[in-house]
Amino acid sequence: MTAEAPPVVTVDKSQDSAPPSGVRAWLSRHPLAAYAIRRFGLYLVELWGALTIAFFFFRLMPGDPVRTLIQTLQQNYIYNAQASAELIARYRTEFGLDGNLFVQYVKYMEKLVLHGDMGPSLINYPTPAQTVILRSLPWTIGLLGISAVLAWIFGVVIGAIAGWRRGKLGSTITTNLAIALAHVPFFFVALILVYVFAYTLGMLPARSAYDSSIAPGITPEFIGSVLKYGLLPALSIVVIGTFGWILSTRMLMVPILGEDYLVYAEAKGLKGSRILTRYALRNCYLPQITAFGISLGFIFNGNVLVEQLFNYPGLGTTLVTAIQQLDFNTILGVTNIAIFSVLTAVLLLDLLLPLLDPRVKYWK
Amino acid sequence: MPMRLLHAVVRTIRNSRRLATGLVILAAMILVALFSPLIIKLIGGGTNPIEVAAYEKWLVPSADHLLGTDQFGRDVFAMVIKALSVSLQIGAIAGLISTVVGVIVAFVAGYKGGWIDGILSTFTGILLVIPTFPLLIALSAYAKNVTLFQVGVMISIFAWPFAAKTIRSQVLSLRTRPYVDLARVTKARDMEIIVTELLPNLLPFIGVGFASSALGAIFGLVGLEVIGLGPGGVIDLGQIIYNAITTGALTLGAWPMFVVPIALLTLLFAALNMVNIGLEEVYNPRLRGVAGE
Repeated sequence: MTAEAPPVVTVDKSQDSAPPSGVRAWLSRHPLAAYAIRRFGLYLVELWGALTIAFFFFRLMPGDPVRTLIQTLQQNYIYNAQASAELIARYRTEFGLDGNLFVQYVKYMEKLVLHGDMGPSLINYPTPAQTVILRSLPWTIGLLGISAVLAWIFGVVIGAIAGWRRGKLGSTITTNLAIALAHVPFFFVALILVYVFAYTLGMLPARSAYDSSIAPGITPEFIGSVLKYGLLPALSIVVIGTFGWILSTRMLMVPILGEDYLVYAEAKGLKGSRILTRYALRNCYLPQITAFGISLGFIFNGNVLVEQLFNYPGLGTTLVTAIQQLDFNTILGVTNIAIFSVLTAVLLLDLLLPLLDPRVKYWK
Repeated sequence: MPMRLLHAVVRTIRNSRRLATGLVILAAMILVALFSPLIIKLIGGGTNPIEVAAYEKWLVPSADHLLGTDQFGRDVFAMVIKALSVSLQIGAIAGLISTVVGVIVAFVAGYKGGWIDGILSTFTGILLVIPTFPLLIALSAYAKNVTLFQVGVMISIFAWPFAAKTIRSQVLSLRTRPYVDLARVTKARDMEIIVTELLPNLLPFIGVGFASSALGAIFGLVGLEVIGLGPGGVIDLGQIIYNAITTGALTLGAWPMFVVPIALLTLLFAALNMVNIGLEEVYNPRLRGVAGE
């Protein structure tokens, strides 16, 4: 995790320490830098706000993790003695449950921000929660990242064409299909795919992320196995995701088609395909880049269910396992990682956008 | 006044085939839900078809049991009908609460502007961008034995930003219109301007807000249920899908148990989405002029 404590202040301070007019002048001469600083400040505020909401949300949940831990230990070691008061107190300190809610909050944030420490996990006690999470993170990034990008590319291209050729039969069918399916949970498609391809036809595996008889490593067999096991979960995300992007791209495309510069391009005698790719498409893929970042949180939500169905060893499965065992530190850790990843992705895309979009100098 | 409103509604529907289709599908589903006690009685023919051990277990679909029976010997078709009405009720409750909250937030933020808008919009934006599913899961820990209404309230906590976002952007564009300025120079009070000038013009977008919140709410609840964290005591379509997965309907080939609820929910999502897009196409002049089917 990067530093994120009361951050806007730092930005303000640097402005105060220098003569204000000098900073102002510099910023007005460098609008791009001013935009970047503003955007970064907003990012820090959002990150802090989201992490705070998540912390209090989970701390107000009923249930006592320390009692759960002791019960688990007793079950595992058939150990019947009552836990002593000191033992409970020690565990309370270890899990960061000392003091009132505010003290807990300050301590948690301090550990998280300064040391990247999320406290011990319960599902894998005493392994720290961050270690458990880091183990599952690559699987989710691989599955969700690749599927989300693929869906975006397919959706924007098909959506642009559907808008461009509006009124034609193919476009009408695609658009109506997209309206019907854009808001279906990935999980539904995943369930149908599993039933057809795994249980009925027996062509593809229904569970796990790779064949357990193959040793993990950079070998062709292992990579092939990962791809084979990832195909169904990825497909369910790509299919629905594509329909979503088709719909929004088409809605961006349609108003553009009436613009004068397109009429002019046509009057110049440019070919239709050139007008589409060089004039029209550029105006709809830029807003869609921002939209991509915003959609990531939503995709993560859906991904949790898909991972759970396939027993895929990613963040989603870890989250559900942690919830079943009331493992607060891991639940909060997964949530925080997801929040951090999504907000950072949105920030990076927003900072990238000015480089792609020549109109940015008008931005405030 | 009510007649005028009705005329406007009829005209709007006639203008958009998409909106009409969505509304017809919704109306059909609501009808089925309203008559669900009757339909279930007809299916049972004297006995209660959704009682445990009403019939034999795992019957395959036949004329007597259109969708077969489940692991407790209950008629799947009757269960699906019952669950559909529960799903619709939750969507309506959560949609309504979210819309009211969304409208209030949107008006306060959009009309007042300034730092209030800044705070409210940032907060709404955070809730829209971050993955809220883990937070919803946390809430579900409270929902062991809750009523349908309480489930609706719980779900709407995460569904209102959808409504607030749509409506706020419209308030922003409306409040600078000349007729609002005119009302302001005639010394109309804020409340008066909001109720008489802004609200009527916002109705279609409040409709969009309602549809997208209801969609988001049902979506969220189904998500909770399919990982087994659904609120106890509420049997809706998501719960039936979860039962199908856990009882091994997938391996047994009892496909109606999950395919039919999925199909119904997909149809419901499609109808709500058609209402959304239909309304937007009618009321967004930029889309209207050139939008083909």
